[in-house]
Amino acid sequence: MPARILQIAGWLLITVPWVGQCSSEYLTPDQMSEASFLETVSIPTPGEFFLALDKQCQPNWSKLVRSSVSASPSDREHLALQLGILWTDGFMGIEAQDGQGVKNTARDILLLAKKLNVGQHILARSQSISDFADAGDWRRLREELNAMHNDIRLSLLEQKDSQLVVVALAGSWVRQMEIGSRLLSSGENPGATALLSQAELSSRILSSLENFPENSKRKAIIRQLMECLRTSTSLMSASPFFFSPSVLREMADCTAALTSAPDATDPKK
Amino acid sequence: MKIKSILMPLLLACVVPLSSQETGGGFSKGPPLAWNFPGQSPRSLAMELAAGNVGEGYQVHDGFWSCTLSKSVPVLVEVFLFAGNDYRFSVASLEPFSQLSLSIFDATGCPVGMEYSGDSFCSTAGLSVIKTGRYFVRLVMTGSDTADTCMVYCYK
Repeated sequence: MPARILQIAGWLLITVPWVGQCSSEYLTPDQMSEASFLETVSIPTPGEFFLALDKQCQPNWSKLVRSSVSASPSDREHLALQLGILWTDGFMGIEAQDGQGVKNTARDILLLAKKLNVGQHILARSQSISDFADAGDWRRLREELNAMHNDIRLSLLEQKDSQLVVVALAGSWVRQMEIGSRLLSSGENPGATALLSQAELSSRILSSLENFPENSKRKAIIRQLMECLRTSTSLMSASPFFFSPSVLREMADCTAALTSAPDATDPKK
Repeated sequence: MKIKSILMPLLLACVVPLSSQETGGGFSKGPPLAWNFPGQSPRSLAMELAAGNVGEGYQVHDGFWSCTLSKSVPVLVEVFLFAGNDYRFSVASLEPFSQLSLSIFDATGCPVGMEYSGDSFCSTAGLSVIKTGRYFVRLVMTGSDTADTCMVYCYK
């Protein structure tokens, strides 16, 4: 009997500190709700998303690569959205090892950046991207594309265009969701659909857009972007773990409406 | 056998570490630092630290977080991580004895991952993600009154 008591006491000595330590280390819901959400760190890059997709379902990336979008939007928010979309397309070109496609995308990014007055900051990057694409150096190409995006973003911040940074990141995220939904809509890899379970992120990006001034929120492209994010959040919240092929198709359609013909709904056109 | 069954828990109890870290009160958000500060900066140091992981196949995420940390006032940063990827977070400051530490928590607030290294002015923590979703990175500085700090992360 004393032996049994000693044994129990021993186990208690082990477990109590662990429980105590765990509870003191836990974050409370209040603490988590106060966490900083910074778009440039809290929103993952296309590279991270595609890497995870690649590990889980080895997609045929080359089938997804599209020819460059020739639309030349008129307003700055629209240009920023296109920049984000092209950034994601550039990463997809790298996954598909399509050097010429990445070069075309980088050229389009440079054109849009010039229209936003930040083109001069990425001229050298554009040349490096071309060189790395010719050499098939995909790792360096990925780094350079990231650096190009970072330079654009920092230049936009420098000229007090922080809203455009948010729009570009939102555009990139929407395009990622479109690609992911299309890839997985066959239903062959239901486990991988958990990668699209990003309702909180969608909601956070939407909140950032809701904080824009009223005159920005009235613009057609921002309204369309916010509507797309609302639909995405709703679809993702309804299926928190796995997505059915029909939900995936719905999500692909909703996101494609924004990324494929971004000028179509602009009343100014 | 009986003696072993009695002694084993007692022995384990002595070995299991009892340390626990105080989380303090509320979390500070702090003002962002100038990203384009010339010369050596917390950001350049954090990037140097992250670049050390490139040899192991990591890619550096292009964004960064920066803030002036106050002594023992933890800061939480929300990130979104994907299942199947490995992540490493690097934090650095210019204060030589700032004693920075990093911890990672999942969406339920439970600690995950591990702190790989901690120096007087920098620290690295990482995890292999099993579940896609929100995570929280907590930074604490205990060595000086304030320290301009920058955090970056990389993935593979």
